[in-house]
Amino acid sequence: MAEIQMQTDVPTPQDGLEQTNKKCPDRWSHLYKILDRRGPFADPSFTPGHGEEILLNTCKVLVIGAGGLGCEILKNLALSGFKNIEVIDMDTIDLSNLNRQFLFRPSDVGKPKAKVAAEFIMKRATDVKVTYYHGKIQDKDDDYYLGYQLIICGLDSVDARRWINATLVNLVDGEPERIRVLVDGGTEGFKGQARVIIPTITSCYECSLDMLSKQRTFPICTIANTPRLPEHCIEWASVIQWPKERSDIKMDTDEPTHIQWLYETALKRAKEFNITGVTYSLTQGVVKNIIPAIASTNAIIAASCCNEAFKLITNAQPYLNNYMMYTGNEGLYTYTFEHQKKPDCPVCGNERVSMEVSKEITVEDFIEYLQEKQDIQLKKPSLSHANTNEKIYWQSPPFFEQKTRPNLEKKLIEMVKQDDEITVTDTTLPISLQIVISYI
Amino acid sequence: MIIDKKTQKYDRQLRLWQASGQTALETAKVCLINGTATGCEILKDLVLPGIGSFTVVDGKIVEGSDVGNTFFLVSDSIGTNRAQAVTEFLQELNEDAKGFHFSEDPVALIENQPEYFLQFSIVITTDLPEKPLLKLADTLWNAKIPLVIVRTIGFIGYFRIVLPEHTVVETHPENVIDLRLDVPFPALEQYVNTFNFETLDSMDHAHVPYVVILLKYLKQWKQDHDGKLPSTSAERNEFKQLVQSGRRNVDEENFDEALASVWKACAATKVPHHVEEIFKNSSCDSITIESSNFWIIARAVRDFVSNEGLGLLPLAGNVPDMKADTSNYVAMQNIYRQKAKEDISAVRTRVHDILNSIGRPAEFISDDEIDSFCKHASFIQVIRYRSLQEEYITEPKKLDIGRWLQDPQANIVHYVLIRAMDRFYESHNRYPDAATYFLEDDTEEVSEEAKNEFNTLKTYVDNLLREWEITNYPEHLDNHIHEICRAGSSELANIASLLGGMVSQEVIKLVTKQYIPMNNTVIFDGVRSTSSSYIL
Repeated sequence: MAEIQMQTDVPTPQDGLEQTNKKCPDRWSHLYKILDRRGPFADPSFTPGHGEEILLNTCKVLVIGAGGLGCEILKNLALSGFKNIEVIDMDTIDLSNLNRQFLFRPSDVGKPKAKVAAEFIMKRATDVKVTYYHGKIQDKDDDYYLGYQLIICGLDSVDARRWINATLVNLVDGEPERIRVLVDGGTEGFKGQARVIIPTITSCYECSLDMLSKQRTFPICTIANTPRLPEHCIEWASVIQWPKERSDIKMDTDEPTHIQWLYETALKRAKEFNITGVTYSLTQGVVKNIIPAIASTNAIIAASCCNEAFKLITNAQPYLNNYMMYTGNEGLYTYTFEHQKKPDCPVCGNERVSMEVSKEITVEDFIEYLQEKQDIQLKKPSLSHANTNEKIYWQSPPFFEQKTRPNLEKKLIEMVKQDDEITVTDTTLPISLQIVISYI
Repeated sequence: MIIDKKTQKYDRQLRLWQASGQTALETAKVCLINGTATGCEILKDLVLPGIGSFTVVDGKIVEGSDVGNTFFLVSDSIGTNRAQAVTEFLQELNEDAKGFHFSEDPVALIENQPEYFLQFSIVITTDLPEKPLLKLADTLWNAKIPLVIVRTIGFIGYFRIVLPEHTVVETHPENVIDLRLDVPFPALEQYVNTFNFETLDSMDHAHVPYVVILLKYLKQWKQDHDGKLPSTSAERNEFKQLVQSGRRNVDEENFDEALASVWKACAATKVPHHVEEIFKNSSCDSITIESSNFWIIARAVRDFVSNEGLGLLPLAGNVPDMKADTSNYVAMQNIYRQKAKEDISAVRTRVHDILNSIGRPAEFISDDEIDSFCKHASFIQVIRYRSLQEEYITEPKKLDIGRWLQDPQANIVHYVLIRAMDRFYESHNRYPDAATYFLEDDTEEVSEEAKNEFNTLKTYVDNLLREWEITNYPEHLDNHIHEICRAGSSELANIASLLGGMVSQEVIKLVTKQYIPMNNTVIFDGVRSTSSSYIL
């Protein structure tokens, strides 16, 4: 694996550090055992005795997400000697967060997560500086992300992960000193994973899209005509009945009266079809796509991420190469392995993707195929001919959408010849994909 | 119906262990011995989901180093009782959990008043030396109270569950489908006979549930094959052809589903091996007034299997979603549910007879508990842990340890080091702590003291290996001895938190009696980011 350049010359004021050390002697004595002594597994380049300068004073870390993982990550970083931390989160605190997001109290419900979390950490660990941004990661530019040595992600959204991953890979631009390591964690119930992504060098988030469990979807005809499960009745209430009966109100899944309406509507339909099992809780789970979450799993995954961050920054031990999977529902099991880079990864690969499609396929069906393909999963793909730059279909701006919409019904073969290349972009993701088409 | 605040607060976990698990959690009383960083992290992850109460037993006074690695202390805590200080900060996390502290040296408490610990539903120890540990383990073992022993040293974490027996009904398997396609019960057969495929219009034909399709063709197959099911892969393929021949067009998804389930349909429904083993257990043979609910119901189910169950477990009654119109699907679902109800009712009668024979009232076991057992009958689990006495003194796993140790990647090496470290502590009253490892071109050299430290720890390792009759010393052990000396019993916040997560999860599984806990030791290596479970 290539050497990673860590930027260590960011000057930061350390007001009150001395005072705290006086107030709290031996504070870092646990850490200094490791940082002051050479170890048999540490990289030979590890220099004992420099812990304070590399870790405590200069390193800037960005934490994305101040939820279940984020709260844990912030605490662990503060206790591992990191002194310059920024946290980004766009959410506000909900009552259902309190069973695991331990930096929040009932009186904080409704406040921005990033702000409350940052302030709590600074109150508890007095010499740590935590700044925050209450907003979207997409609001920030390349220079912002370049300002951190390391980025740790504790997100519950696949889209946000894909965005930050692609942004950090694009950031490198052939210059190794622009590599910013991404440590990513995720949990679901008793399961989770932690991984280290070194953009352009190791496999990236996009390389492993096909490892995501497929989201459960229900065909619209089942929902409309042949419901069998309580979930079908709930989907009917939210997808079909809401627009029909309450088109004037925008559905808000955080609004209890809306969930109540969906629940009652679904229950009525279930009764009509003799289907049992529609409950308020299930209704909420289906329409909000709720993923179970507990303190324990978040603690395990966040700690693993921070342990890797600590090793990456200090060199005190070798870091994870590059994936650890965790399962805790049957016994306790981890699987650590090197996830392989995908040569034709749309984000970090340099090989073109080849696709075989039917001669009969329409542009519209081809777009749907790109959205459903497990290893690509584009949201809103726009297509152009790579050689002629001719627009095949563009999702935006509206002018181009309108202009290219008639092409949707055309057969792909009318616009793209055998072995021609298509450029696919996606307005929601900073990626661009080259696809060579062959017909069967 | 507007749901209450508590249900909202715990929503994300109730989806894993439901109200029954939550009630079990809320009535549990957990005791933590030593409010270390790891101990506090375990409690954090138990207080947040709402454990009934927690009690911290710790005789230490807070030092600066504790504030450095524990989130539940501040610099003002220095000099105060650690038990009280951490309890107050942990209490802030959730008012539903009641926090208590006892500022007493746990070693003395175990020595003089071990019965103190019998008031708890589970006891967790961190940083407890071998001698008091063995005594505590004995006391709790006899009272059948689970003990969890936890250690973190540098990048290494270790924990061990000690408990005579743990039984689980709600194991939450991922797939619970039991359709009895090979042995359809009479009501199901009757239902299948109501279908006449030839007379169905194309819409209805495409909505016949695949269960009906398979049963129809299996019946035909059996008639042509002396009542036998397709057994070889050639026969299964032939049977697929038969199913395929009934298909009217390629769009019939119900036929796709039928073809995809042929293999499953031809597999014989039987009592799973691990459940047979549970039935053979002596606890299942001799039911007395001492028997737990689990064993009483297990016995009733065993008797059901050898009588009215005709060799099969009670039917679970779940039907997966499949291509079908609503009325057919619901009708079929009701047939499975009705059969499940009948089976449960038969088991219930047997449970009541057993209760009567041991002088217990019928209400002693609730109907819900019997229901749940019947629905999960194929997935029940019994874990018998080894005692700490067996592990340490009477029956150490010499052969296994010797074998595991040969693999340089195996985490068993950390177990050997932890045991050696404990021996070191017994004689020195401190843990090994020195910079013993240097590179050839380092300007510094290993001090005499450090050399001694390394050699002393190595002597304890050698002694252990000799006791376990392991004759060839694995070379990779030396590096791990260096690493333990380097760590100097330090407790890193990350490893403490990681162990806190793992241990709390196992405690939740033990307390709720849901999901399957590990057996019996887990070791995490934060250098390699790997973990292993061993039965020690």
